[in-house]
Amino acid sequence: MLILRSLKLESNHAYGISQFLQKQSDSEFLVDNGSLYPALQRLLQCEWISAQWKTSPNGRRARYYSLTPAGRKQLVKATSKWQRFALAMERILAPEG
Amino acid sequence: MRQWRSKMARALGRRRNLASELQQEMDAHLQFLIDENLERGMAPEEARTAARRHFGNQTTVRERSFESWQFPTFESFLQDLRFAARGIWRARVFSLIVILTLAVGIGANTAIFSAVYAVLLKPLPFPSGERLVWLGESSAKASGISVTWINFQHWRMENHTFESMAAFENDDLTLTGRGQAVLTHAGVVTRDFFRLTGSRPIMGRLFTASDDESQSSATVVVVTRAFWAETLSADPQIIGKTVTLNGTAYSVIGVLARDPGFFLPPVDYYLPFRPSVAQVSKRDAHEWMRVLGLVKPGVTLSQARADLDTIMQRLAQADPGPESDHRAFAEFLTEQRTGDLRRVFVLLMASVCLILVLACANIGGLLLIRMTTRAREMAIRTAIGAGRRRLARQLLTETLLITLVGGAFGIALAGFGLRAIEVLGPRDIPRLSEANLNQPVLIFALALTLAVALVCSLVPLVSSEKVNLTILLKESSTGSGNSRVGNALRGGLVIAEIAVAVILLFTSGILLRSLWAAENLNPGFEPKQLLALELQLPALPYKSDERILDFYARLEAALRAQPGVESVGAVNCPPAAGDCRDWWYSVMERPTPGPQDVPVTLINMADAAYFRTMRIPLVAGRAFSDEERAAGPTVAVINEEIARAWWKDLRSALGQHIKVGGPYMEGPVIEIVGVAANVPQIGLDSPPLPEIYLPAAQRADAAMVVMIRTKGSPESMIATVRQTLASIDDNVPMQSLKTADTWLGATLVQRRFTTLLLVLFAAIAVVLASIGCYGVFNYWVSCRRQEIAIRMAMGAGTLAILRRTGRQVVRLGAIGLVVGLAGSWGASRWLNSLVFGVSTHDPVIFSSAALAAFLIVSLSAAIPLRRATQIAPIEALHET
Repeated sequence: MLILRSLKLESNHAYGISQFLQKQSDSEFLVDNGSLYPALQRLLQCEWISAQWKTSPNGRRARYYSLTPAGRKQLVKATSKWQRFALAMERILAPEG
Repeated sequence: MRQWRSKMARALGRRRNLASELQQEMDAHLQFLIDENLERGMAPEEARTAARRHFGNQTTVRERSFESWQFPTFESFLQDLRFAARGIWRARVFSLIVILTLAVGIGANTAIFSAVYAVLLKPLPFPSGERLVWLGESSAKASGISVTWINFQHWRMENHTFESMAAFENDDLTLTGRGQAVLTHAGVVTRDFFRLTGSRPIMGRLFTASDDESQSSATVVVVTRAFWAETLSADPQIIGKTVTLNGTAYSVIGVLARDPGFFLPPVDYYLPFRPSVAQVSKRDAHEWMRVLGLVKPGVTLSQARADLDTIMQRLAQADPGPESDHRAFAEFLTEQRTGDLRRVFVLLMASVCLILVLACANIGGLLLIRMTTRAREMAIRTAIGAGRRRLARQLLTETLLITLVGGAFGIALAGFGLRAIEVLGPRDIPRLSEANLNQPVLIFALALTLAVALVCSLVPLVSSEKVNLTILLKESSTGSGNSRVGNALRGGLVIAEIAVAVILLFTSGILLRSLWAAENLNPGFEPKQLLALELQLPALPYKSDERILDFYARLEAALRAQPGVESVGAVNCPPAAGDCRDWWYSVMERPTPGPQDVPVTLINMADAAYFRTMRIPLVAGRAFSDEERAAGPTVAVINEEIARAWWKDLRSALGQHIKVGGPYMEGPVIEIVGVAANVPQIGLDSPPLPEIYLPAAQRADAAMVVMIRTKGSPESMIATVRQTLASIDDNVPMQSLKTADTWLGATLVQRRFTTLLLVLFAAIAVVLASIGCYGVFNYWVSCRRQEIAIRMAMGAGTLAILRRTGRQVVRLGAIGLVVGLAGSWGASRWLNSLVFGVSTHDPVIFSSAALAAFLIVSLSAAIPLRRATQIAPIEALHET
């Protein structure tokens, strides 16, 4: 889901995705490449993202991933599900404080 | 789902592409990292190293990415399979033994099962065949005797449990007017027969109510397709034409699409059942008619029987007669068809099952031994991270693969076996020839193979239950596997193998002795140099007794005139021909028996020269003479069996009188003039039955077997006999012409076949058991090399070593023998009906089986024990 989110605005390559996730989470999440690559492959298999070779702004050839319409739908679904879950967690945890 | 689909597409197509793409992508990723590091001011070499470190293990990333494209379970299964194949190939001798053992076990089971399936299990080829019931009458003395026409009519009209009923009987008629006269076989049936057996015409029609009318004079016939194609030359215009049977023209009204195969042996055509005048008027006019009934769904056999019995009781009250005690006899057609065969086939099936048990035990034992030698391999695998489940799966795959290979060989073997059964098997077992490797049989073989695989792979799994890694790795390979569980299992295997071998040896031994007894039975006559010519005179022109007698007299005279013929005599029912006819009788000079106690005897007709030609000794009195005439005083020769039943001194039987039919039936009173030695009338392997011979001159029969005693070899006279018959009357069809030896031997074909199979199975069992025991003993000695070496080094002599190692062998052998003998004792009770001429508890056979088991154990233990004594202590101790 996090990968899908990172691709919501623009397509990106694997390195970019790991950078993005690290930055957005204030380095809370350190993305392990051993998890990132298999995850990307799985998303490809589900046809939620598509891949393309492009040249990056600094002139390097890289594989750019972008969301497919199905992926967009999945992101919405997963996001709302997560939000409901997070909200529930919050409610349970909140009264203590 | 979508994921799976794209995986499949990928799996089938572009896997290589994936690898290079991933590599490029990772390279790009690294490059980004390097760029970033360079920007931070690192030296290029340092930047690369740092980038690599930051990226992590490339190989892991690659592997795990690939994994997401794979079917892990499936691919690891393939891997297991490859590994298993390699393992099997590596241990070639082991694998070959396992595969051969399995092939024998599964092959024997599959072949016998396909025979059992064809003969016993396969549904009869009739619609609702499972509800068809074979009906007869039964009296106090006999069951399944013929049904009388009047009873049949009452049953048919008044029952509440049957959907429909049809009467049937056999008849033989001579076909003339189409080349040489031939004897043809008819099924004589009422019209419902066709509906019950699901027969349809391809041409014309079947019998209708008007054909069934007893008053109807039209003579019609429905022919089978085979008869139409072969004898009637497949004439498409045959309907309405006539065939001449026994001199009467029958018009063909229909041709059957398919012969229902109800009559055994098959018939050529069907005639409508026309009861005789006697049958219509008298309730006790028995002929040969039996009834086929279709019970309503859900009706049990006993309900149907009770229903018919009520009718019989009502009839007995309304019209009391000598047969008032007769009741209905009912048996499902499926059971009636197989009868005694069930026992034989269950015996064969049980034997092959035991063989399979042996095969399983052997393979289990072998696997166990292999497992213990592989224990270190397994321990190492566990140590480097293979899970218990993964190991178990690997072992299971290996066993499964080798079992499947064995099973495939087994099925091939079964194919050969079936061909052998087809060639060697007795012809009189219905539907045996239909046995083949059909779908149910193949399913059975597959299920059997899988079951064997599971059982066999369980053995090593159970024994590896408590593998202690550290101990195993430390221990030397020879010492491992000496666990308590393993020892008990191996001991159990030896016991089971010996027990099974003993049981099979006993069973085959007792059947072998029965066969021996039957083959060497003194038949009561001299079967060498004897030809039997079986004749059935056509009803036209042999209408009267005079004509029949005249024909046989002329034939015998002509045969006697041939050089090379010593003597000629005729009989109605030769030895081993079966029960041609039996009837009640009583002895006039003795108290009249009660209606329930009237004895039954076989009735046979013989001419004056019969006893002399056969060399059947006359124990008392005389044989028939040519003086016996139809008009003269009626006389009889009785056999020893019947004479001993009534008279202590056989000579005192002479001059006494027998009333044929017993005191309650009409029948002639005849004087006993002679007592003849017993001959096996039913078959060589059946006990003698009471028998009365009547002179053929006083009771003529168109069907006779002319026995010809030759001076030289009987085979050389066959052509002469044929010519002589043709010179007397060209139109008399010859039923058969064979030597008395063949004639007698035919009754033993089935017994020979069963015995042959069982002896074969016992031989297989002995071989398997020996191999199995040898394997286990040999393994023991290997395991104890060091122990023995130490003992020897300490001064133990050969004898002491032998005593120690041999003790275990002897103990296991003794237990196996006891279990086996107990099993044999149990089996022997059950074998009773198959045994002939020997006690089922024959001590000779028991002791031979025990001796054989002793030999198995000692032979299979000899080499390992010898090896034990040959161990060189120094070498063995240095081996560790």
